[in-house]
Order: sequence, then structure tokens, then C-alpha cells
Amino acid sequence: MGDILEFFEQMGFMNMTIQQGIMLLLSFFLLYLAIKKQYEPLLLLPIAFGMLLTNLPGAGMYHSELWTAFLDANSPAYHSYGTIMREGGLLDILYIGVKAGVYPCLIFMGVGAMTDFGPLIANPKSLLLGAAAQLGIFLTFLAANSMGFTEAQAGSIGIIGGADGPTSIFLTSKLAPELLGPIAIAAYSYMALVPVIQPPIMRALTTKKERAIKMSQLRPVSKTEKIIFPIAITTIVALILPDAAPLIGCLMLGNLAKECGVVDRLSKTMQNELMNIVVIFLGLTVGATATASSFLDWSTIKIMVMGVVAFGCGTAGGILLAKLMNVFSKEKINPLIGSAGVSAVPMAARVSQQVGQEENPSNFLLMHAMGPNVAGVIGSAVAAGILLTMLG
Amino acid sequence: MMTPLAINWSHVWMVTGLGFCMVIALLVVLIFILKLLGAVVSSAVKAPKAEQPKAAAQAPAAQAAPAAAQASADDDLAAIAMALHLYFNGVHDVEPTEIHIKRVERSGWNSKLYGMNNLHR
Repeated sequence: MGDILEFFEQMGFMNMTIQQGIMLLLSFFLLYLAIKKQYEPLLLLPIAFGMLLTNLPGAGMYHSELWTAFLDANSPAYHSYGTIMREGGLLDILYIGVKAGVYPCLIFMGVGAMTDFGPLIANPKSLLLGAAAQLGIFLTFLAANSMGFTEAQAGSIGIIGGADGPTSIFLTSKLAPELLGPIAIAAYSYMALVPVIQPPIMRALTTKKERAIKMSQLRPVSKTEKIIFPIAITTIVALILPDAAPLIGCLMLGNLAKECGVVDRLSKTMQNELMNIVVIFLGLTVGATATASSFLDWSTIKIMVMGVVAFGCGTAGGILLAKLMNVFSKEKINPLIGSAGVSAVPMAARVSQQVGQEENPSNFLLMHAMGPNVAGVIGSAVAAGILLTMLG
Repeated sequence: MMTPLAINWSHVWMVTGLGFCMVIALLVVLIFILKLLGAVVSSAVKAPKAEQPKAAAQAPAAQAAPAAAQASADDDLAAIAMALHLYFNGVHDVEPTEIHIKRVERSGWNSKLYGMNNLHR
């Protein structure tokens, strides 16, 4: 009889708190969004499952207290990966890759191997639109400070406006690891909602005439330019802003592997196997940080709200700069491509194409929007490097 | 989770203003570098073209190759444009989805059986 009672006492059902129950329901909802609605399923599914695993009482797969001790300078486990390996669960061990900033960089390598920077090289002015769209990051940083977050936390919240999941995770794991769960979930949720968030802002800030502007065809880009581009960008950015080197370096390494044409096996591995493995590890462990104690908090709701603000400001920044460029430039550009300056590759570029075709079905903006879109990836990585330099 | 410290607004404004300006400035530098790269690469490509007449006199076949490639690219563009026109305006033929194989009857004219003798072993 005593054994049976002990068995019942050890059951998760008996040890579950209300907060953990709520988190489990939330993970079920996210799984529903990933599977049924297909909102960024490749990431949302492992994130939601990580959230499910970490909130199962007694499973012991992730220990937030170990990571609190890891960050506490007075603790014997301060910055001790050995303690994590010795006492941690599966998700603790996988989380080391997030903590050390390894996974976001490896994902950037895969992103680089899948990205064609040709539209950006053909029209370098796109970089300005990619820069303007980072406005959301800095305005949200300002707003988050006024809402009581510390500067480091505010910088991590602001980076949601870059619409770049790996960059958000990279910066948050360095500046405010305690907010990693809500920030990662906000970043990926809003990236999936780009087709919902952006079009109303795009229509509000542009006239029908502007939306119907047709742009001239981009010049062809030679293979030599495509090969020199990643080398030049890495060198220049890393020399000016060393903190951005891990992200930009990995992005450009992946791109060089794709463009040089002599390491097809490496390029394919970066695009497929490596990327998929890292996505599984990253998703699971980021989801695992969303424990009931850290997630069910007013600050999570504030982060969610400010994430939308960041996205909106970034979109508006790109569009307004495109309009400003039209004032000074002879060759008109369609302001809709400015909204693609928030990274979210290639979703934001597709949205520009769709909204443009609503006004003029014969207008093809996709390739023009890909320029600011990939510029946004570089811009958000640069913004992360700047925030890390100033706040780290 | 949040730390109730007094906000150092001067630093916050400095990070906001300087940070955004630095993003713009760095990407403007990259614009100049990309423009320079484009100019250098295109001039390197144009340079051999300047010597082309002399070379062309020696090798007419080599001169014909780019022209043929250009014609081929034009044909490709025309084919793509036509396909897009047919697709978007719904004027493409309705294709029958059946494959017809016409069976040919054997005769003395088309069958090897009638033209070859079996070898007796």
C-alpha cells in the first residue's frame, strides 16, 4: 500500500501547479498553431514541444535554477559548464549551444547558404531601406526603458523589431537571458504574422499612385561580384564592428560556400542537414526556457505588445525612407519595397509583391523587394552588434 | 524580473540616437563599397571587349558565340513572356490528358520478323 501511495505521490499530476497547467495549455495551443495553421511550423513546433517538456513536473529535463546559478557571480557554479553537464538534464545540455551563442550563428550559416544577395548587389541603395527598417529596434528600446525594463532587457526587446529570430536569440542570450523565452516566442510569432501586421501599415502610409509604381529591371550580377561580396562585407563589418562578426561572418561564410561553386557538398549540408539539426536543438531549448515562473509574468505581456510596436515601426521606417528617396531620386522606387527591410526573409518581400499586385497586377516587385529584405538581415545583425557593444 | 532602478535617460537617448545613426552610417559605407565593387568588376569585364575588334579579325567564330548566346537569351525571354501571357490570360489550349499510342500493324515492310531468317543450328 505504501508503495502505491509513493507511486501516486511521484506522479506529475500530483505535483503540477496551476501555472504549469496553464503553460501546458499554452504549449498545446502553439502546437495547434504550428500543425493546423502552419505558422512557422519548423520553429514553432519544436519551441512548443520544448515548452511542453519543461513544464512537465518531475521530468527534470530543464533546470532554470542551474542557469540562475550559472549567471550568479557569487555562486560556485558561476559560468561553470561542467556543473551543467554533471547535474543538468537533456535540455540543459542542449541549451549550452544557445548560451554560448552557437546555434544562432549556425542558423545564419544556413541562411547565408540559401540566400541570393544578387538583388542587393544590383541595387546597393536597398541597404538604406534595410537600415531604415531598423528604426523599430531603437524606438522600442526607448519605449521599453520607459516601461521599467533595464537597458540590457530593453535592447533585447527592441531587437524583436529586426524580425530576425536567430539575431533576437543571439542578442538576448548575451544581454538578458532571463527574457529569452518570451522574446524568442514573440519574435517567431510576429515573423509568422508578417502578412497580417504589415499590409495595413503599408496601405496607410502610401497612396494608390505610389503603390502602382513600376520599377526598372535590375542589372545582371556577375559571379565574380557574388563571390567578392561576402568576403568584402565580412571584412568591412567585422573591422568596424567586431561584435557583429559572429553573425555576419557565419552568414557570409554560408553565402560564399553557395556562390563559389567549388564546395557544393558543404553548401548543401549548411542548407539542409546542419540547419535542420540546429533548428531542432534551438527550438527545443528556447521553448524549454519558457517555464511557468519566467513566462507567466506581466513583463511577457509587455514584451508581446512591444514586439508589435517594434515590427510596426520597422515597417513604417522602411516605407517612409523609400518615400523620402523618391523626393531626391530621378528613378522612382515603389515605397512598398521599403517594408521588406525588416528581415523576415522572404515573407516580407512576398508581402510587398502581394500588396503591389493589388494595385497593379502586372507589377512584379518581388526581386526589387528581395534587395531590402536581405539588407534587413545584414542591418539587424549590425544593430545587434551595436547594442551588444553599447549595452553588453 | 524588472529592476526598479532610476533610468539613465541621457544614456538611453544616446544609445537610441547613436545606435541608429551607426546602423545607417555602416550600411552607407557598404553601399559605397558595393558601388565600387560593381564599377571595378564591370570595368574588368569591359576591358577585354575594347580589344575585341582586333581579336575578332583573328577568330570570327569566337565573335559569333556571344551573338548566338544573346539570340538564345532573347528566345528564352520571348518564350517566358509567351508562357506568362498564356497562363495569366487563360488562353492556353486545353490539353487532352490522354496519351495515344498508335499501334502499327506488322507488314513485310516494317517488321524485322519478315525480313530476317532464323538461323538453323
